[in-house]
Amino acid sequence: MGMVLQPMFARMAPGARRAFFSFAVTGVCLLFAFPVLWLILTSLRPESGVYYVHRGTELTLGNFAEVLRNDRIIEAFANSVVIATLATVFSLMVTVSSGYMLSRFHGPLARTWFGSIYVFRCVPYISWVLPLYFVTQSWGIYDTYLGLLLPHIAVHICFFSWLMKGFFDGIDPSMEYAALIDGCTRWGAFFRVALPSAIPAISALAVLCWLFTWNEFLFALILTGQRTPVITVVMAQFVSEMGLQWNLMSATAVMALVPAFALSLFGQKYIVRGLRI
Amino acid sequence: MLLLIAPAALLLLLFQVVPIVIGANASFRDWTLSNPKKTWIGFSHYVSVITDPAFLQVALPNTFLFMFASVMGALVIGLALAVLLNRRFRAQRLVQTMLLLPLMVAPVIAAIMIRWMFNDQFGIVNVILEAIGLEGQPWMAQRWSAFGVILLTDIWLWTPWFTLLLLAGLQSLPREPFEAAAIDGTTPWRVFRHLTLPMLRPVIVVCVVIRSIDAFRTFDIVWTLTGGGPARSTELFSLYAYVDAFLKLDFGRGSAAAIIGGLIILVVGVALYRLVDRVVRV
Repeated sequence: MGMVLQPMFARMAPGARRAFFSFAVTGVCLLFAFPVLWLILTSLRPESGVYYVHRGTELTLGNFAEVLRNDRIIEAFANSVVIATLATVFSLMVTVSSGYMLSRFHGPLARTWFGSIYVFRCVPYISWVLPLYFVTQSWGIYDTYLGLLLPHIAVHICFFSWLMKGFFDGIDPSMEYAALIDGCTRWGAFFRVALPSAIPAISALAVLCWLFTWNEFLFALILTGQRTPVITVVMAQFVSEMGLQWNLMSATAVMALVPAFALSLFGQKYIVRGLRI
Repeated sequence: MLLLIAPAALLLLLFQVVPIVIGANASFRDWTLSNPKKTWIGFSHYVSVITDPAFLQVALPNTFLFMFASVMGALVIGLALAVLLNRRFRAQRLVQTMLLLPLMVAPVIAAIMIRWMFNDQFGIVNVILEAIGLEGQPWMAQRWSAFGVILLTDIWLWTPWFTLLLLAGLQSLPREPFEAAAIDGTTPWRVFRHLTLPMLRPVIVVCVVIRSIDAFRTFDIVWTLTGGGPARSTELFSLYAYVDAFLKLDFGRGSAAAIIGGLIILVVGVALYRLVDRVVRV
């Protein structure tokens, strides 16, 4: 395609070329945004209009009101918020130090740790979530906050230690050496020098971690039951239980999108940084 | 130094190593809900999974096809977008926000959206097809159209990730070779083919490795879009293991399937890691 396009492209006047460029970019953006826009439009249509979303003009907020009357959905939202927030806090506490260790220390222990992190990241979730179901049950934490929270933190360890190592690699260690010479302990150097300079990176991780936990499905599906519903599982159950009520399902999905979008708009520059491995 | 990784290592041990060991143990036992005695039966679950046509001829080929097609699709489109966007223009930030959009959408929500759009009676896709005189399809009722919709969803979800990473890679390339090529009057296609692509190769390879490993274990979008149907024909290996363990309640066999999948991806992962190592060093 490039072969055919390029001569055509070169012959165009600069103005036409710019017009073509804006046209292409707008088209791409629309294509990527369309499913979300369509979902929002569906969520605003009354039940009778949902089968002809493209026709008719009545819009309503009734779907949202109806969803908000459903106790199970409210509970699921609350649970998701609590778990995502707690998982973020604890994941950061655990992975920041592990990433720091990977970046600053060398030797057999650091190499082993890095190797095991890579291997564990490759393990398919299903291979350890399946037996985890029995583990949490026998420890009596199945279907509780703790039973979902701890595995979630464990999931994040591999990927986030890796990201955090990359961030610390980008921070010059000479400041820490200076602190050590001035009589700071190794821990002091970590807490007083390295940690403050890694705050942008830690923010990036926090945003990503929150989003990952909020969006996660398989762990929640297997490790929670009736007592601790979370939003992704409840939505997936909708598909089978209320498969015909697309207006209500869209409204729930839109509500689940709002926190993620708000957070990502707020943390956009951190996310872009965090995604750059 | 040990203290720095102690909490992380402990959590990994308790919630990843221990379950994997228990799962491995369960995979050698006859452990179903109706027979909780857990008799040791050796490799027979493994044999039964490997010889099962639903695993060997459907789930496994599906998994590899999905991995390959979804990664290649997202890579090609993502690369094209990155090259297109690699210049200064107004509204750059807006475009970046739009591209980030799919990355923020939970795979489950994406699957619900796409499923609604491809609904055979009222979905917008069929409405548009019929409006331009084509016949609407029962997308989710046929194996390959359902598989196509799954792929489309995954590519929609992951193309922006490729675009962002490749764009960052493009912007960190040195300018001189491109200026020299411009002075020589090289066509844009040749610049792309002989300058951009080779220089971007390390970034591309890293992206492909990470994405491939993640694509191999995809579960949520398939589960929400088709549930593995019609007639288990769009199952990936993770769905196969889940169905065995939680719908048929045969935990031993499900564990065996999960471990087989884990071993396969371990081999693939190590091979890919070697590949990256070589490419990045050259």
